Amino acid sequence: MGKPRVAIFDFACCEGCQLQIANLDEDLLNLIELVEPVEWREAMSEKAGQIDVAIVEGSITRAEDEQRLKEIRQRAEILMALGSCATHGGVNKLRNRVPLEEAQRIVYGASAGMPHLQSGQVKAVHEVVPVDLKIYGCPIEITEFSRIIRELAAGRTPFVPNYPVCVECKLRENVCRYEYNEICLGPVTRAGCNARCPSNGMWCFGCRGPVDHPNINAAYDVMAKYGKTVEDLVGKLELFCSGEERIRG
Amino acid sequence: MSVYKLNMEQLRNWVGRLIAERPVYGVRQKDERFVFGRLKKPEELRLDYDVTILPPKKYILPTRENLLAYQPGEHYESLWADEPFVLLGVHPYDFVAIRQLDLLFEREKPDEHYLRRRRAATIIVADVERASDNVFAGCVGTAVVKDAFDGLLTRVEDGYLLEVRGEKGEWLASLLESPSPANAAELSRRNDVWENNRRRLRKHELKVPPEQLGDLLRRSVDHPLWEEKARLCYSCGSCNLVCPTCYCFDVRDESDWSLDKGVRYRVWDGCLLEDFAMVAGGHNFRPTRAARYRHRYYRKGLYVPEMIGELACVGCGRCITACTAGIANPVEVYNRLQEEPHEDDAAE
Repeated sequence: MGKPRVAIFDFACCEGCQLQIANLDEDLLNLIELVEPVEWREAMSEKAGQIDVAIVEGSITRAEDEQRLKEIRQRAEILMALGSCATHGGVNKLRNRVPLEEAQRIVYGASAGMPHLQSGQVKAVHEVVPVDLKIYGCPIEITEFSRIIRELAAGRTPFVPNYPVCVECKLRENVCRYEYNEICLGPVTRAGCNARCPSNGMWCFGCRGPVDHPNINAAYDVMAKYGKTVEDLVGKLELFCSGEERIRG
Repeated sequence: MSVYKLNMEQLRNWVGRLIAERPVYGVRQKDERFVFGRLKKPEELRLDYDVTILPPKKYILPTRENLLAYQPGEHYESLWADEPFVLLGVHPYDFVAIRQLDLLFEREKPDEHYLRRRRAATIIVADVERASDNVFAGCVGTAVVKDAFDGLLTRVEDGYLLEVRGEKGEWLASLLESPSPANAAELSRRNDVWENNRRRLRKHELKVPPEQLGDLLRRSVDHPLWEEKARLCYSCGSCNLVCPTCYCFDVRDESDWSLDKGVRYRVWDGCLLEDFAMVAGGHNFRPTRAARYRHRYYRKGLYVPEMIGELACVGCGRCITACTAGIANPVEVYNRLQEEPHEDDAAE
């Protein structure tokens, strides 16, 4: 069996997640020992036909993007959503909170009517095509990405945490952000970042999206204990989790 | 048994000599809290701490511990860590917890990884100087320990008393500079500290006698409290992770880039986490928050006591502090089960 043929595709995003892959530096050489990159706009010019693994970054915002994604899905054995924009819409979904025309006016001002700026509701990748595996984060954690690739290459089911950031935060013995009277999204957010933000003096922004079954009712009730309101919490949650059904209390 | 009197300078010099001899893990300040960490110099040591974020068991059962190195197919090799080290300033309740882990890891199939680290440890207990916000060690008999330690430090007016026991204790004493034995007045002062700690380390008052807790729990399987509390449970496992008597772990493999070799390691796990009871085939035998929430109180009050004959909660109060939702107070849970007997249970 040859090396798996892997392609990386980008949609609406900052391309920071695939930049993380490029940031593997020397390990990039190890990575291409394991897999054969056949299409990757940010790093090479070749195009491929049939592929084993499609890595898709970004949100889906236009009809032509949906079509392109469906074609990628048909070409690929395995489709992997890479980063928050792809796994759950991420910051792009903030746009869905206001009427589209208003969003376009806010962002593009006088140019809002230009044809190349027309786009629709923001979707995560799994809202358009079936997704086999999600790699979370804004941006992704490159150590986690590398591990998941190795586990796949070794024929194992990759471990992806379904527990909150609190687990990693406790293991790093951080002082809980709630002890500083801050709203931290750690208790409802999927771990895997090794509690990066709380370990560096910030609350968790929830970039990785919620765990499978976040207890949002608890989050709403707990606000009162810390002298906060539901609005305070919703304001934090909406940055990365707008349109995420599981965060509606 | 020997008890020595150390003034503050003697203490500092002695800790300095310990650090020169072996890795010493003692209590240091971290932001507004305290943690056990490697001491580089005696001045870092804070014996006046209230409670650490994680318990000192992390040096005997590390948060992540490599168990073996493997090559796919046949070959593997166990990985051991048995370099001698010193744990300095362990509060009595945390020491009781380590003694419980000793029993649990020794029974049935002994866990050689744990036991080797444990044998490598020289443990110096320190009597509590400052009570933490939620400590209730006084209610569960863990405010004071009288044996099984290697060293015991107790604050007296102008210094510390150091009691040493056994072979490791002799080594500790051998590093003292011109040791002077404690006098009768100082020993009596130490008794006062113990009496006082038994009384004051009770920020919560457990009304159920520990020996009756098992029966109370057997009657409380369907108590509405489990649902009521679990409604607010994030399933974040914070109560598990800060607990000095929790010892469950998950085992995972990680291979290097060549896929030709890798390590099998274990990491701390927690029974409150959603996937804790997920087994091969995708079945989760404790799928609800209430079932997981209840399980923890049964472990501490019934299941582990059945194995080792001791209440598996040492009253450190860490879970109470760590729970963002404010539902993890074992004293409140056990008291309520007693005060509000469940009707169906009572009718049985």
